[in-house]
Amino acid sequence: MQPSTTKTQAGAPAQTAGKKVLFPDKKVSAKQVKSSGLTNIAGLNSLIIFTVLLLAWISGFASRLFAVIRFESIIHEFDPWFNYRATAYMVEHGFYNFLNWFDERAWYPLGRIVGGTVYPGLMLTSGSIHYILHSLNIPVHIRDICVFLAPVFSGLTAISTYFLTKELWSSGAGLFAACFIAIVPGYISRSVAGSYDNEGIAIFALQITYYLWVKSVKTGSILWATLTALSYFYMVSAWGGYVFIINLIPLHVFALLVMNRFSVRLFTAYTVFYILGLLFSMQIPFVGFQPIRTSEHMAAGGVFCLMFLIGGLKYLRTFMTKAEMKYFGGIVIGITLVFLTVLIGLTYAGFVAPWSGRFYSLWDTGYAKIHIPIIASVSEHQPTTWFSFFFDLHILVTTFPVGLWYCIKHINDERVFVVLYAISAVYFAGVMVRLMLTLTPVVCMLAGIAFSGLLELYLKEEDREESGTNAVEEESDGEQERSPGRALYDKAGKLRRMKHEKPKGNGDGLGANVRNAVVIFVLMLLMMFTVHCTWVTSNAYSSPSIVLASYSNEGGRAILDDFREAYYWLSQNTHTDARVMSWWDYGYQIAGMANRTTLVDNNTWNNSHIALVGKAMSSNESAAYEIMTSLDVDYVLVIFGGMIGYSGDDINKFLWMVRIAEGEHPQDIRESDYFTERGEFRVDSEASPTLLNSLMYKLSYYRFGEVKMDYRSPTGFDRTRNAEIGNKNFQLTYLEEAYTTEHWLVRVYRLASIFFLNLNALKNFTSRKKKGYIKGRPTVVKGQKPQKRASS
Amino acid sequence: MKSAKGVFGCLLVGLLVAMTQAGGPTLVLLDNLAIKETHSIFFKMLQGSGYTLTFKLADDANLVLSKYGEHLYDHLIIFAPTVEEFGGSMSVETITDFIDGGGNVLVAGSSQTGDALRDLASESGFEIDEVGTSVIDHMNYDVSDYGRHTKIVAEPSQLIDAPVIVGDRKVSPLLYQGTGLIADPDNPLVLKLLTASSSAYSYHPDKPVKDYPHAVGKNTLLIAALQARNNARVVFSGSLYFFSDEAFTSPVHKVQGGNKHEVSGNQAVAEAIARWVFKENGVIRVSFVHHHKKGEAEPPVAYTIMDDVVYSINVEQLSGDKWVPFVAEDLQLEFVRIDPFVRQTMKHVANGRYEARFKIPDVYGVYQFKVDYTRIGLTHLYSTTQVSVRPLQHTQYERFIPSAYPYYISAFSMMFGVFLFSIVFLHFKDDTKSKVE
Repeated sequence: MQPSTTKTQAGAPAQTAGKKVLFPDKKVSAKQVKSSGLTNIAGLNSLIIFTVLLLAWISGFASRLFAVIRFESIIHEFDPWFNYRATAYMVEHGFYNFLNWFDERAWYPLGRIVGGTVYPGLMLTSGSIHYILHSLNIPVHIRDICVFLAPVFSGLTAISTYFLTKELWSSGAGLFAACFIAIVPGYISRSVAGSYDNEGIAIFALQITYYLWVKSVKTGSILWATLTALSYFYMVSAWGGYVFIINLIPLHVFALLVMNRFSVRLFTAYTVFYILGLLFSMQIPFVGFQPIRTSEHMAAGGVFCLMFLIGGLKYLRTFMTKAEMKYFGGIVIGITLVFLTVLIGLTYAGFVAPWSGRFYSLWDTGYAKIHIPIIASVSEHQPTTWFSFFFDLHILVTTFPVGLWYCIKHINDERVFVVLYAISAVYFAGVMVRLMLTLTPVVCMLAGIAFSGLLELYLKEEDREESGTNAVEEESDGEQERSPGRALYDKAGKLRRMKHEKPKGNGDGLGANVRNAVVIFVLMLLMMFTVHCTWVTSNAYSSPSIVLASYSNEGGRAILDDFREAYYWLSQNTHTDARVMSWWDYGYQIAGMANRTTLVDNNTWNNSHIALVGKAMSSNESAAYEIMTSLDVDYVLVIFGGMIGYSGDDINKFLWMVRIAEGEHPQDIRESDYFTERGEFRVDSEASPTLLNSLMYKLSYYRFGEVKMDYRSPTGFDRTRNAEIGNKNFQLTYLEEAYTTEHWLVRVYRLASIFFLNLNALKNFTSRKKKGYIKGRPTVVKGQKPQKRASS
Repeated sequence: MKSAKGVFGCLLVGLLVAMTQAGGPTLVLLDNLAIKETHSIFFKMLQGSGYTLTFKLADDANLVLSKYGEHLYDHLIIFAPTVEEFGGSMSVETITDFIDGGGNVLVAGSSQTGDALRDLASESGFEIDEVGTSVIDHMNYDVSDYGRHTKIVAEPSQLIDAPVIVGDRKVSPLLYQGTGLIADPDNPLVLKLLTASSSAYSYHPDKPVKDYPHAVGKNTLLIAALQARNNARVVFSGSLYFFSDEAFTSPVHKVQGGNKHEVSGNQAVAEAIARWVFKENGVIRVSFVHHHKKGEAEPPVAYTIMDDVVYSINVEQLSGDKWVPFVAEDLQLEFVRIDPFVRQTMKHVANGRYEARFKIPDVYGVYQFKVDYTRIGLTHLYSTTQVSVRPLQHTQYERFIPSAYPYYISAFSMMFGVFLFSIVFLHFKDDTKSKVE
């Protein structure tokens, strides 16, 4: 490794001209290679690039394996369970049956058309990997493919990021960006092993689409534009975030038009991409006619029309006088107005769907909270805190504005794109935690540009002063030895350094010491970045969340496997058609692990059905029983963390259930009833009676009042909320406890059948007004009858 | 698997019925053994029908209703009005458990009804009037009454209009002497078998009426019944006398304007009620459920929306020891997904087989064929069969729709145009075109 690094220095002139002339980068370097006579330089160059990318891939893959090593090869969290179940179904039954799969176990009794409500790209990807491996006689279980899919794709993301950055700036910046994206926590959070979700492959699709788009804008070739459309097709099949692409690319085109950068290349790239992309995207059943019927997609169409207008005008200008052209200006405005009116008219007439609620919440962060509590209830839809920007991106978040500035300073067609990408992604990431994911790639790219620019500046003197070079060399070699990951950045830096013919004049006045200090400082920053990334990955993003680990004071580790215990119990001890009611968070897990029918799940498409379940959970027992029988519920499952202090339990989510239920049934459920008079949400004896008698409270705390955790605390002490519960000794009338897991984390209750409802249990309902019959009762000795006594 | 639920439902009903077939061990609790003689006609009638009667005193210290979780008896007769507390392991709670377990109970009280029966009554949704009160009717009493007007005459028209419970209503008037009951108005399962006439009331016969009587007029129940949700049956009579040999054999003559009948209708009605409460009458079950697409024979894995479906159900009735076809005109089928989407009266085809044909609605989901048949006196007939209704598969949509023809034409004309254009482009040299691509 080290020798190769030094050798590339010699190849420095090979790429130097690249920056001055923006497009014909390749040609120049090729010529230079020839002229310099060092024929193996190009080979060494690509060897280094190859090595760096390979290492990025390997380290990215390796750092995503914490969860597998600590726990096991298991599917994580909630949504991945559905993806896994769907993939397994597809592998078992074939693609067409998957497309037509009507899942009667979800959303009972509505059912779910899985084929038509899912982005099938993920399943298809792992399904085809499975198929290929099996046709090569490599028997890998589909679960392992699903578990390791996201880490493998993170390597592909790194490579596509490299290509994209290379197109935008330079190869060195590309290597930086590739290394950043390989380990940055903002991306790892969605792509650790076991996190089998759309985002895992979608970021790759996103980056490769952008790369191909930039490429096609640069070349103006139909081939690249077609490839862009194909890659866009893959993105559409993989993730709903494709809307970001279909808005960002038109925005890019529009910005170029406004900047008067119209060109035939742009025209070709965009029109080909738009038409093909439109047709391709409509092939996905879940997307269907949305690209021509919803407001989210209208911008692309508008830009498409605008493109033709401007193209037509440019064409007319070739043989018309200025005076005639003015006349056309009016026509253009007229046509634009007509288009807008037609669009607005269509929206009002209902042919074009207005913006969806999720979309509104992107512009108005308070919108969801007021109108769609179900969206607001999801933690990943909350606005992002500053803390999480730093947590997920670390040093990159501070350096990417520098890269952005470089791009704006040296603007050209494709850099307009990355600027728009960065600005929009920053905005969206600020609105929703979840969209941090779309910000991460562009931050990595721009930070890569910034770092490479920085190292360019501070290492460039080496070419003239050999001594300085060697000093830095030694420094960086030292770095390399200390942490192997550093090697990547070193080399990247040196690659950049080669390109430094142009700003030769500006570099004066920087002494070797200053340069060394800055370089060391930068390397230290990068090292801290690596440490931070590893730490965050290991501590925050590598929990499967269906298996919990707790650490005792002595450092011993205890595994809490209650979720799987409960789901396994369900799968073994209940009727195969049994219907399990739970809050929607656990729907996918119940379906995936217990294979039982659920009422609501994480695909929250039907608000009113969820509200019905929320209403059942927040009503008292008898009202809930009516709802539950109307929904044919057999079992109720609640998550209770009070025993072990698990904070993500149902009582903590309870207010959202109340809010969602209130949204649909405002006359029955009122959020204010669940607070104390002082407006607090508490579970102790001061809690409101409505809360104390709600089904969720009773199911969570049933028999908990008998439990005494340690000597100091009273019985029924909830460790999550640090309170002694307010309703201790109560009986359940309509439900009976069926199963409670080891740490009480999951509690399952069985619903009593109406036909066998115990009369004794219903005592309260029979009239017991025994009006004064005691008064006239004759004195009778118990167990004796008056007649008999008289006779004896 | 889909039909498993339905079969399960049927089995459930079948199981209950099998457990309580006609005849069977019966425990009879008495105040004193004399009752065995004073009510001998009634008991003999039961024994003649195959019941094994075990007579015990109500305070017998060895009373046991169930052992090791199994009931020792199918039926229970309590002809011990004055019992205050049962002996042995029996208590009101064990009796209600017995009812919950499907056992049938016939209880007769009197004007001296004790605490135990009161508790039992209130568990079952009735209320017995105070101790010492009787139903008094100054208009409809028998000639043999000696002045208190408590031996009242009930016309057969006061019986509930349900032949399956009380038999033919064309019988002689009934003799009744005992306390009055009132029913819990909120309990929909209570049946008013015999109500008092509008001139009756319930009070202490020897005291002047100071308070408003507990039960007045038609609110006063003489005999009431409860068919629990699990089809267990409970009959409460306010009068033990009603079942006595004396009442069975004595002539009836209403004092004011009544004809004299040689013998009262008590025996016929008592027998009918006994047969009903011990599940000889009015027991129906689902024997077979089948559903399939029109033109096919077997149920599919899942129906598709807009399919024509044929649903048939066989209903049987218990007659003696045999199950015979049950015939009715009002059996309804519902096709339910939370709410019923289809509800129709089924046609009786033959031999207790009912059939419904309908088109599945254009809404996919998990549906249930539901037959929920509740009629007075009959056991609750309930059968659900869960089926999935799936949307159209991707191959099932119409392939060539007329409104698409313009698009077909445009596509083909475009292809043709491109073809022509290519020819023109290739064979006619034009300098300016080469740039545009």
